[in-house]
Amino acid sequence: MRTIALYSNKGGVGKTAAAVNLSYLSARTGAKTLLCDLDPQSSATFYFRVKPKLKSGTKGFLKGGKSVFKSIKGTDYENLDLLPADFSYRRLDIAFNQLKRSKNRLHKILKPFKAEYDVVILDCPASISVLAENVLNTVDCTLVPLIPTTLSIRTYLQLLVFCKKNKIDTSRIYTFFSMVDRRKKLHLSLMEKVSRKLNNALKNDIPYLSIIEQMGVYREPVVAFSPGSTASKAYQRLWQNLQETILINP
Amino acid sequence: MRNTIKFNLANDETESHISDQLAMHHQMKKETTISGQLTYYDTFDWRLFNKSLVLFTFQNKLILRKLGEDRIIHSLNAKPVPCFIWEFPKGDLKRYLEPVIKMRRLLKLVNLVSCTIPYRVLNQDQKTVARLLFETIRTSSRKNPKTIGSQLWLKPVKGYPKLSKKIKSLLESIGLTSSRDEDVFLRAISEAGRDPGSYSSKLRLKLTPDMRADEATIIIWQFLFQVIKINEAQIKHDIDTEILHDFRVAIRRTRSALVWNKSIFSERIIARFKKNFSFVGKITNDLRDLDVYLLDKPKYKAMLPAVLREDIDPLFDYLGKQRSVSFRKVIRSLNSNKYRKIMQGWEAFLNEPQHDLASGSNAEVPVLELARKRIYKQYRDVIKTGTRILENCDDEKLHKLRIQCKKLRYLVQFFSNLFPPKKISLLVGQLKMLQDMLGNHNDLSVQVNYLLKVAEKMPANLSQSNKTLIAIGSLIGKLETKRKSVKKSFTKTFTHFSSPPNQKLFRELFALQSEKVFS
Repeated sequence: MRTIALYSNKGGVGKTAAAVNLSYLSARTGAKTLLCDLDPQSSATFYFRVKPKLKSGTKGFLKGGKSVFKSIKGTDYENLDLLPADFSYRRLDIAFNQLKRSKNRLHKILKPFKAEYDVVILDCPASISVLAENVLNTVDCTLVPLIPTTLSIRTYLQLLVFCKKNKIDTSRIYTFFSMVDRRKKLHLSLMEKVSRKLNNALKNDIPYLSIIEQMGVYREPVVAFSPGSTASKAYQRLWQNLQETILINP
Repeated sequence: MRNTIKFNLANDETESHISDQLAMHHQMKKETTISGQLTYYDTFDWRLFNKSLVLFTFQNKLILRKLGEDRIIHSLNAKPVPCFIWEFPKGDLKRYLEPVIKMRRLLKLVNLVSCTIPYRVLNQDQKTVARLLFETIRTSSRKNPKTIGSQLWLKPVKGYPKLSKKIKSLLESIGLTSSRDEDVFLRAISEAGRDPGSYSSKLRLKLTPDMRADEATIIIWQFLFQVIKINEAQIKHDIDTEILHDFRVAIRRTRSALVWNKSIFSERIIARFKKNFSFVGKITNDLRDLDVYLLDKPKYKAMLPAVLREDIDPLFDYLGKQRSVSFRKVIRSLNSNKYRKIMQGWEAFLNEPQHDLASGSNAEVPVLELARKRIYKQYRDVIKTGTRILENCDDEKLHKLRIQCKKLRYLVQFFSNLFPPKKISLLVGQLKMLQDMLGNHNDLSVQVNYLLKVAEKMPANLSQSNKTLIAIGSLIGKLETKRKSVKKSFTKTFTHFSSPPNQKLFRELFALQSEKVFS
């Protein structure tokens, strides 16, 4: 089982859109895929037309095992399941903090999925906390979408400082540019300036396109409702790159 | 409810009729019809069927499932479909199939056409909560094809069990019944006029203990003759190497039975056929040797240091060409008048009334008695030769022991159904271990000598490269080291085979009452 997290300590950078589309693309290869929506805003859950409700809330999630399995829902797509978000996730950080060995708890929760799934993708909320530490310590690869803006880059640098302070291995953290508007000089110049300095930068940009926003109208991954679109092709390239470079290595 | 449920559809239960009924209660969405060719595969000797496995292709996917079940074990995107296990891409399917089909070719059994109309059952959020698949399998896509199966699959979506239960009840209320009927694979195969599992080179004889020895022997020979004929007809197609192998084994078994039947049939007849089958056996020797070398190419390459691995290729190119020559020779021999006359003569002998032929002193002896006598005598010969080897281990004696073991194995296999199966399989297992050791030793000796000869015979343009000769030399060195180590293991292997519990078991099963206790 390979685990991927879409994570950023900044909101609105395209984490959910990437998680939803990459999950769909993963399932389409025949890999049994589970998307875990950890964000109390439950956008990924909404995109798949599932009710944001866990059978026993955060408590059940932290307990892991059967109570989590019971909450998993099949999506409209073969091989793709979803662990829906729950509004009680807004207190997930506090709940993690109250547990013993709180920084590695997620690993224990995900372990039973190994028998059932080939790929698990986590859609994480924007925060830099004990949940983030759990995610960064657990997954095989963390993907951080970066909008080519000063603030987005700044929050990424904050993340690196946080990792250093908490002794988190940053070699499994990858970035890609998201919501890129090539008409904006700032985007282009920042991308040029920063991409050389970034470690593990994937050379696949996701453009800023309204069709990605239309996922909220269609309630489907853009790759499903508009497979030939520029946005879909961008996600497909990103997925292919992930498969060929990161996921291929054990 | 998580498992897929199948409902068989009768002629009047059409897709539109059922979907209309369901649409009165649930929102249904019809999807694009999926149709495509459904092709089933197995090996010549039904290795997949014998393990209750079904391998098929549909829409460029090669899929493996259990017979009688719908759950897919493994699948992969495969175009073109691999014929041999070494052509499979690395992965779960290859790992699963490798020990089952080994070196045998996958053959197309039957082509069908599958047409599926999928429906999605939606909830108020337009979310799929169950899937329905109306599938019809026909013999072809042409006019008036025969329908092999027509069924409706209810596939629950994870997390929505109540809804699937409701749909199931609804389908049952309109007269459909969920069923576990005959696998569509079996119906398709039968429609194609094939009898699954009909061929096996394994001896499946039904002898009775009080059967006359001559009668039993004819049954054994007739079975072997069938195996010879089935494989002989396929050799020319060069499907896979094991066709020839099965042919050779059947010939060897026939010869082996001729040796111990001197006292049942007239010596003149036995002498005639012994001579004939000796000729038939030799026809294919070279071709089989070359097949084995070529099959073992990856093994040989792995033995070499990485720097020499590519340099051995000219040797295998040469062997490949030699194989083509040898293959043509075999085909010529099998088409020759001499071969045909031998086989016609043998067939005529097998079909003649037995009492006319059986003039030997043991002809009327019950087969159980004969089997015990022969097996126990052969066993004692094996023990005698083996014990001598323990004192002085030379290659000639090892070769003699190998032949004796082979004869013993054939004897045990011929008469196995006369004895308790568990005990027989235990003995065969023990014997197999000894045979494997002796076989390995013999193969390695033969390979070393063959490579020495072949290096001389290879045309100058192929052996020009010094590195090729170095690679062959290196390979000979490795094989020789391995041979010595196998030889060293003889004492341990034979001591295990001739251990008191094994001797006791042989005695218990095969020694006649009157015989002295053999120690």
